[in-house]
Amino acid sequence: MTIPTGPCRARIRTNDRMSFVAMLLAVTLAVTGCGSGDPSSAPTSAGGKQKVSFLIFPSPNLPESYWKAQVALVTKTHPDLEVELVAAPSESERNDYAKQLAASGQLPDVQIGMQDLIALEPSLEPWTEEELKDFLCPTCGAVNGKVLQLPANTQTIPNVFYNKKLFAKAGIEAPPKTYAELLATAEKLKAAGITPFVSGGAFVTSQPWTAILATDLYAKTPDWMTKRRQGAVTFAAPDMKAATQKFADLAAKGYIDKRQIGQDYPKTQEAFLAGKGAMYPMGSWFAAAADQSEMKADIGVFAWPSDDGSLHLPAYTGGGLSVSATAKNVAAAKRFALAFQLTKENLDASVKADALFPAIKGYTPPSGTGPVFKSVYDLWQQALAQKATVAPFGWEAGDTAMVPGMQGKFWSAAQDLVSGEKNVDQVLSFLDTEWEKSG
Amino acid sequence: MAVGTIHRRPGPAGTDARGRRDRRRRGPGLWHFLTFAAPGTLVYLCLVLAPIIMSVGYSLTNQALLRPRTEFVGLRNYELLLRDETFLQSLRVTTILTLIVVIVPNVLGVAVAVLLDRRGWLYNALRSVFFTPMVISSVVISVIWTRILADDGPVNQALRALGVREPPGWLSDPDIALYSLSSIVCWQMLGFCVVVYLAGLQGVPQELGEAAAIDGAGAVRRFRHVTWPLLAPALTINTVVLLISAFKIFDHVKVITNGGPGTGTTASVAFVVLQEGFVENRTGYASAEAVVMLVVIAALSVVTLRILQRREVQL
Repeated sequence: MTIPTGPCRARIRTNDRMSFVAMLLAVTLAVTGCGSGDPSSAPTSAGGKQKVSFLIFPSPNLPESYWKAQVALVTKTHPDLEVELVAAPSESERNDYAKQLAASGQLPDVQIGMQDLIALEPSLEPWTEEELKDFLCPTCGAVNGKVLQLPANTQTIPNVFYNKKLFAKAGIEAPPKTYAELLATAEKLKAAGITPFVSGGAFVTSQPWTAILATDLYAKTPDWMTKRRQGAVTFAAPDMKAATQKFADLAAKGYIDKRQIGQDYPKTQEAFLAGKGAMYPMGSWFAAAADQSEMKADIGVFAWPSDDGSLHLPAYTGGGLSVSATAKNVAAAKRFALAFQLTKENLDASVKADALFPAIKGYTPPSGTGPVFKSVYDLWQQALAQKATVAPFGWEAGDTAMVPGMQGKFWSAAQDLVSGEKNVDQVLSFLDTEWEKSG
Repeated sequence: MAVGTIHRRPGPAGTDARGRRDRRRRGPGLWHFLTFAAPGTLVYLCLVLAPIIMSVGYSLTNQALLRPRTEFVGLRNYELLLRDETFLQSLRVTTILTLIVVIVPNVLGVAVAVLLDRRGWLYNALRSVFFTPMVISSVVISVIWTRILADDGPVNQALRALGVREPPGWLSDPDIALYSLSSIVCWQMLGFCVVVYLAGLQGVPQELGEAAAIDGAGAVRRFRHVTWPLLAPALTINTVVLLISAFKIFDHVKVITNGGPGTGTTASVAFVVLQEGFVENRTGYASAEAVVMLVVIAALSVVTLRILQRREVQL
C-alpha cells in the first residue's frame, strides 16, 4: 500500500475537510427538513383557486364520503374555493387532535365541532355580529364575549331511546314519566333478564349522569358551572353529591352492566340496535343511525324523567364551524364556513345523516325524515315550547363549560362509579382536585 | 554497518526521525473521523440530548402549548407531582406492569428457549412463530387483543360455551384490566427473550454439560449449575431491555384501555405524560413528569445493570 506524501496528502486533508463540511450540510438539511410543511402555506392552487383546509371527524354516522359530498355542495356554488379535508383520528379524539395541531402551528383553516373552545381561543378567529345574523342563538358558546364557533345546530344530550319490544316483553306498557317509574321500569327489565341500560366506553357511560344532573342540578341551579368556575361551589356540594349518588345507585342496583364499559362507542350503538339492552341514553344524533336500522319502528324516545315528572331536556347549541386565526386566507375560510352552514342542502344532509337540529333562522327540517328523528325533534320542540331546556352537563360550550381537560375526567369518573372502583365522595373529590390542577 | 552511513536517531513517539508526525501510526485524520462521527452526533444532539435539556427547562415553567405567556415557576411542578394522585397512581400502575413484564417473559423465555434449543425444521419454524409478535406493530397487536378480550369476543364466548355464566370483563373490570394489559405485553416480549436466551444457550460449550453428566449430574442440576450461570449475559440483556420497555409503555395502553376503565386504572407514566402534555396542554407540568420518569428509568437501569453484571463476574 502506498502512502501518499506531499501535495497528494495535503489534497486528501482538504478532501476530508470538504467531505466533513458536506456531511454537516447534509445532516443539517435532513434535520431541518424533518419539520412538516404548513398545510396552509399555499393559499391558492395552480388553477388560481383559493385553498382551504378543513378538519373533519369521520364517525359511524358521518363517514368520509359524507364530508366529501357536503364539501362538494359548497364548492359547486363557490367554484373558486378548493377544499382539502384533514380527518381527525376519531370522533372522540377530534378536540385533542385539533389542540395538538394548534400547538404545533398546523391547525387547518376550518374545523367543525370543536368543544374545548377555551383552550383553542388564542388560535381561533372571532365571528362578527353581521356574520352571525342568520343564526338563532348568535351568542351561544361565546368565550370572553367572543363567538369563536358558528352556533349552527342544536343537539339534545341525552334522550332515552328505548326498545319497545323489550319493554313489552317485560310487561311495561308505557315509558316512565317520573324517576320512581324509571327505577320501577329498570327493575322489571332486570327481573325479565333484560339489561336495563346499554352502556359502553367513557362518554356513553356518563350519559345517565349528565341526564340526572340536568333534572336534579341544572333545573334548579342553571348557573352551577359558572359558580364552579368562580369557586363559589365545588363538586362536593350537596346537590351535586345527591345527583351523583343517584347515578352510582343505578350501577349498584345492576341496571347498568359494568362489563359493557370496556366496549367502544360503535360497539355500544351496535349493542342497543342488536337488542342487548332496553334503554340507551344518548344524544339526539343517534336518531340517524336508529332510522337506518331495521328496528326503527320499535325504537321510542322519552326525556330522562325528573322526580316530579316535570320536563327538563338538556340541549346544546353550537357545534358548527370555526376558523383558524392563522389561516393564510381568513376571508376565504370564513366564506367557506358560512356557506357550509347556511346552504339548505347541507343542512338537510346533516339532518338525515347526523340528526342535527339546524339552529338557522327560517329553517325547517326536510320531509322524509325517519320516525326516530321525528320523535326526538318533537320532544325538543315540546321542551322549547315549555321553556324546559337546560344545559347538558359536560357538553357545555364557551364560558359556561368546564375548564379545559375536565370533560375527559368527568367521563372517566363515570366509569369509576359504574365499576365501583370509587365511591361518590372519592369521585367528587377527584373532580375537584383535577379542576384545581386544570385551572 | 557501512562506514559513512548517516544514522538518524528516532524522534519522539509518533514522529519520524526528522520530527514529522507519522500519519500511519496516528490513523485517519481528524476531519476524516469527524466526517463519520458528525451525522450520528448531530442527530443525537438535536433529537435526544437537546430535547432532554429543553424538557428540564420547560419543567421549571408553567408552559401550556396554547397559552401565549409562559412563566418561570421554579420547582413548583415537582412539588405538585408529589401530591398528584393521578401521577402517583400512574407510578403504581407502571411499577406493577414493569414487575410483571420483567419477570414473566424472562421465566417463560428461558423455558421456551430450552425447549427450542434443538435442531430440525420444526424447531426453526417454532422459533419464528415465537418471534413473530415482536415484529408486528404494537398497535396492531393491541387492536387484535382488544377484539379477542372483548365481552363478546372469542375468549368469553368460549367460556360461556363451557358454562361460565358471567365471564370476566378482561378489559372493563378495573381489578383485571391491568393484568390483561400486562399479559398482552408479556406475550409480545416473549419472542425477544426466547431469541436472546437461545443465542445464549448456543454459546454454552457442550463439553461442560457432558463433563457434568459424566460426573453424575442430572438434567436439572446440569441446567442449574452449568447452563444457567452461563446465561447470565442473556439475563442481563433481557432484564434491562424489558425494564426500559415496560417503564415507557404507551401504545398498548392508548389502544387497549386508553388508561381506563375509569380514572387511570391502567394509565402508565408515559401515558399520563402524553395526556398532560398534549391533551390537557400542561406542557410544563408534563415535562416535570417526563424528567421524573427519565431519572427513575436511568436509576433503575444503572442499578439493575450493576447488580446483574456483578453477578456475571462472580459466576
